[in-house]
Amino acid sequence: MEIKSLIEKIFQEGKRQNLGDMEVFYSAGSSLSLKVFEKELDGYSLSESEGLSLRGIYNGKMGYSYTEKVDESSIDMLVKNVVENATVIDSDDEEFIYEGSKEYKKVDTFNSELECVSETDKINFVKQLEEEALKLDKRITSVETCVYGDGYGETIMSNTKGLYLHDKSNVAYTYAVVVAKDGDDIKTGMAYRTGNDFSKFNAKEIAAEAVNEALSMLGAKSVKSGDYAVVIRNSAAADLLEAFTGIFSAEAVQKNLSLLKDKLNQQIGSERFTLVDDPFMEGGLASMSFDGEGVACSYKKVIDKGVLKTYFHNLKTANKDGVVTTGNASKGSYKASIGIAPSNFYVEKGERSLKEIIAGMDSGIMITELQGLHSGLNSISGDFSLAALGYEIKEGKISRPVEQITVAGNYFEMLKNVEEVGSDLKFGLPGESYIGSPSLKIKKLAIAGE
Amino acid sequence: MLNRNLIEDTLNAALSTGGDFAEVFVEDRTNNGIVMIGGKVDSTMSGRDYGVGVRIFKGFNSVYAYTSKSDRESLIATAKKAAAAIEGNQANKILNLEKSDVKNINLVQIDPDSIKKTQKVQFMRQAYTTAFDYSDLITQVTVSLTDYTQNIMIANSEGLWREDTRVRSRLGISSVASKDGEMQSGFWGPGASKGYEFFENMDVDYYAREASRIAVTMVNAKYSPSGKMPVIIDNGFGGVIFHEACGHGLEAAAVAKGLSVFTGKIGQQIASPLVTAIDDGSMPGEWGSYSIDDEGTKSQKNVLIENGILKGYMIDKLNARRMNMDVTGSSRRQSYRFAPTSRMSNTFIDNGKSTPEEIIASTEKGIYAKQMGGGSVNPSTGEFNFAVMEGYIVENGKIKEPVRGATLIGKGTDILTKIDMVGNNLMLGQGMCGASSGSIPANVGQPMIRVSEITVGGREGEK
Repeated sequence: MEIKSLIEKIFQEGKRQNLGDMEVFYSAGSSLSLKVFEKELDGYSLSESEGLSLRGIYNGKMGYSYTEKVDESSIDMLVKNVVENATVIDSDDEEFIYEGSKEYKKVDTFNSELECVSETDKINFVKQLEEEALKLDKRITSVETCVYGDGYGETIMSNTKGLYLHDKSNVAYTYAVVVAKDGDDIKTGMAYRTGNDFSKFNAKEIAAEAVNEALSMLGAKSVKSGDYAVVIRNSAAADLLEAFTGIFSAEAVQKNLSLLKDKLNQQIGSERFTLVDDPFMEGGLASMSFDGEGVACSYKKVIDKGVLKTYFHNLKTANKDGVVTTGNASKGSYKASIGIAPSNFYVEKGERSLKEIIAGMDSGIMITELQGLHSGLNSISGDFSLAALGYEIKEGKISRPVEQITVAGNYFEMLKNVEEVGSDLKFGLPGESYIGSPSLKIKKLAIAGE
Repeated sequence: MLNRNLIEDTLNAALSTGGDFAEVFVEDRTNNGIVMIGGKVDSTMSGRDYGVGVRIFKGFNSVYAYTSKSDRESLIATAKKAAAAIEGNQANKILNLEKSDVKNINLVQIDPDSIKKTQKVQFMRQAYTTAFDYSDLITQVTVSLTDYTQNIMIANSEGLWREDTRVRSRLGISSVASKDGEMQSGFWGPGASKGYEFFENMDVDYYAREASRIAVTMVNAKYSPSGKMPVIIDNGFGGVIFHEACGHGLEAAAVAKGLSVFTGKIGQQIASPLVTAIDDGSMPGEWGSYSIDDEGTKSQKNVLIENGILKGYMIDKLNARRMNMDVTGSSRRQSYRFAPTSRMSNTFIDNGKSTPEEIIASTEKGIYAKQMGGGSVNPSTGEFNFAVMEGYIVENGKIKEPVRGATLIGKGTDILTKIDMVGNNLMLGQGMCGASSGSIPANVGQPMIRVSEITVGGREGEK
């Protein structure tokens, strides 16, 4: 194999320039994305790309470099950059090249059937998605975004300690954002599906969900400012968890950037709240058998019935804390250095449905969407103040749609105030991690409106 | 970067199925990044991005394909694969390519790659020390330094063939202050289309102290009140309000499809007469500047709003077809991995006549947002949200105690008409803007402005 011999040559040149242990991370992939607007194929994008990174130890420090020109012409530059980058590192934290775990659990992340779906079928699907959405209701004036995409990727991790790991996966996604208009009132609604089984994508179902989201928001108004009992619907709760994921990283804790410092084995949340990281979850879009350092992944409860059980570790942070790594080293791409991230990360579901939870409330607000998550919260303090959409709840029922409000609180306080956890676990769009939550009922949060 | 023969053959392969326009974009970029946490260099990364993108239009249809391989075989194969998505027979052959030079508006004095990392680290250490020593309440400081050199080549079937080099440098200082188990952070991130001279000429102590000052001020602040009230937004990064609430709605990508609230409103009064807004990618050395856009069009100054009247949009080639209007040098992309589309560059509200002192003195009760955080917008509904990084109560014409955790929400069209004072202290601020063609450097900017009424979200009730 061509790449294998390139890796050998890189290691040889590294040795020549006095590098100690070295590791190459190679990834290659292809992707397709289709966009339809008013029955026309409005966007069509396909790609084939590859990249390779080298990390290596020079005078006891780890240096990193990468290239997208994967051939012999890059070897010299790769090694030189590793040396220069290692030279300026003065962090005392030791980084490791790993010799390999005893056992790797096999995970199923590749579906060969997806590779056989014809382009025509994909185009027809995304056209149908738009058509279904437009014919459901006259007030739907356009489908702002109507997309189908899929991608294939493979990675190779190889180091001078003899580790050689190979992994491949594929995934497809589709989403639609519809625009509903009633007079001057404009609302949007979105629905999406992800997974690597194309046959499970149902255009009618996705269209209906997006249309319903938009139509049910028409006529929304603000509410009076004040403290309300709040239900954060599943997808919004997952988005919020995603924004605060960094606080569980041992690196953040060690660097004084997480308030979870010194909180291990303490009650930090409601007894109903359990948080799981499961790299082997069936259908999980961040499932993996080994992490970014080649360590075998493992299942863990991060919060068990409100008690903080562990942080996420890689080899470096685990060594510093004198514990075993949790197998959460991340290597987002060949461009990234080793970080920390969860895999399939979710709040364990409870017993009652969303409907039952609402039925038990005299009054309150259900939040369906949180906006500005990258700016309206402080992951260090836990404070958030976010623009939101949702519904007002009265006498156990949804009474009307609500817009132009913000919901504010503190995430750490909120974890303690989780009164109910729904049975409707839902995952967000996959990134480096795949993050999910059921709907959460919170005792109270501050709502600002009129 | 590629020879003429190969470019022409690639373009012809792209047009082989009846496309009426084809374009090749080549990118060769070196990146450097250093992160210092707690005064120690924590990570460094350098690397080379390399790839080629091929784009084809037929009418309003567009196809994009990219590859990180640049040998003849891969390029022709990529062009043919893209062409396969277009149905028809070859109608167009490309004209003779003629290479044309465009003056580089961003003159770089010191190539960032000529400076040793140890020297960059020394500079970062100064930022760290000043920020950390600012106060006993400062518990953590993270400093990052990034620079890149992006070489691009664009050629298209209209005969255009241009190259450009874009060098950008940016410093980030993030300070964390702690008190009684609470943490608050402050950030400054100056950047420019300049080489290492940007850092050499910078008053780094000023930015370091500012980042720490914000963190310390906020850790001592009470929670913001909430409700509708007048809001004064200061100059510089405060311009993010215009960027998010209005700028995105003026991008052709949203306008052409009728998805923007500003569609079809040229010549109409859409903002207070005090508002003149400009997008100008041709300002030398600025963070969001470029000599040519990612379709090869020269950058230019575009007046978007003049005295409250909508004058123009930001338009790329594909949407220019849909709108039957001219391109405005506004087509941008993060890298060869993205098809370009209309985006903002340096976007700002222009100077007005009021002094900042007058604006504050004439405000009875409200919020003064001295530093803004980020925000986002739904372009279809115009709904936006912004975080206030550093805020204060204003009472009886005076700035009073600091408040934290305030968020501003509203609709872009409402805010534009509710701007009732515009200051005379225009300043730009640097940010990264994310949209369909990726994450790109963009300047926001404005003088101090006052909005007569915005919904402020915070944890405390109405006061």
